Amino acid sequence: MTRKTLLSAQLKRLLSNLSDHGTQHLTEIETDLIQTNFLLGEAIQKLSASFMAIHEAVSQQQEMVDSLIAQVQPGPEFAEKLNAGRSEIDLHVRAAITGLQFQDMTSQLIGRTVQRVTGLRDVLNGLETGSADMPEQSDAEEIIAALIRINKVLEEQSVKLESALWKAVCQTRMESGDIELF
Amino acid sequence: MAKSILAVDDSGSLRQMVVFSLRAAGYQVTEAVDGQDGLDKAKEAIFDLVLTDQNMPRMDGLALIRSLRQLPAYQKVPILMLTTESSDDMKQKGRAAGANGWLVKPFDPQRLTEVVKKVIG
Repeated sequence: MTRKTLLSAQLKRLLSNLSDHGTQHLTEIETDLIQTNFLLGEAIQKLSASFMAIHEAVSQQQEMVDSLIAQVQPGPEFAEKLNAGRSEIDLHVRAAITGLQFQDMTSQLIGRTVQRVTGLRDVLNGLETGSADMPEQSDAEEIIAALIRINKVLEEQSVKLESALWKAVCQTRMESGDIELF
Repeated sequence: MAKSILAVDDSGSLRQMVVFSLRAAGYQVTEAVDGQDGLDKAKEAIFDLVLTDQNMPRMDGLALIRSLRQLPAYQKVPILMLTTESSDDMKQKGRAAGANGWLVKPFDPQRLTEVVKKVIG
């Protein structure tokens, strides 16, 4: 085997291996992210259902208490305690509703990451295709030309991927977001 | 008669929270799973307010607003965006498309109902 053949064959092998191994790992990452998103979604769905059920039960209890109070006419201290309890429940209900929305944001972030992983896999496929087009016995100029072609494809696919992505979710505060009326 | 609201969001859990909050405040809420579904439902009935997400499959929030503003029945109906997008650039695009307000997720149910009440009573 000549030095020229050895170089182009090794380069082809390197590019092909990079594409194969990279694709394999990205597929694993994609599977894990999709599963994470699914589990998170299921968990939040169950939490939401339980939250609704608890809220419904508490509301019914509250109605019963109100009805009893109307009959018994308790002292001001008791009424004050009941109101304080009601306010505390309201506070936690509001916090729970705000907190349960974070699944939507994490889901968007995971979706964005999955898109990027899929895009990166396409980029690696471009690498594989580019290396396959390279002749087995290439001189330095042919190798350089092939690498330029591959680079161009990679850059184009990378730009295409970036433009297809939604903007990143940047929220870091756990309280509610800003409101602006036009 | 209760005021009607069309809540458009591709996230089931988010819609659930919107519906829960607004129904508790006495509003009648209809759900749509994306912009296209929202547009279809808006053509079937006239709502008093549309509350929409931005990033959705099939049709995003801005495209939905533009399509709704083309419909004679929706030229003056208030439309609020409820989205994770918070950049001034996006808010400007929303305003230009015909949105009447911009709410950044996550929302607090009390603040959401206050805003809705301010807009449609």
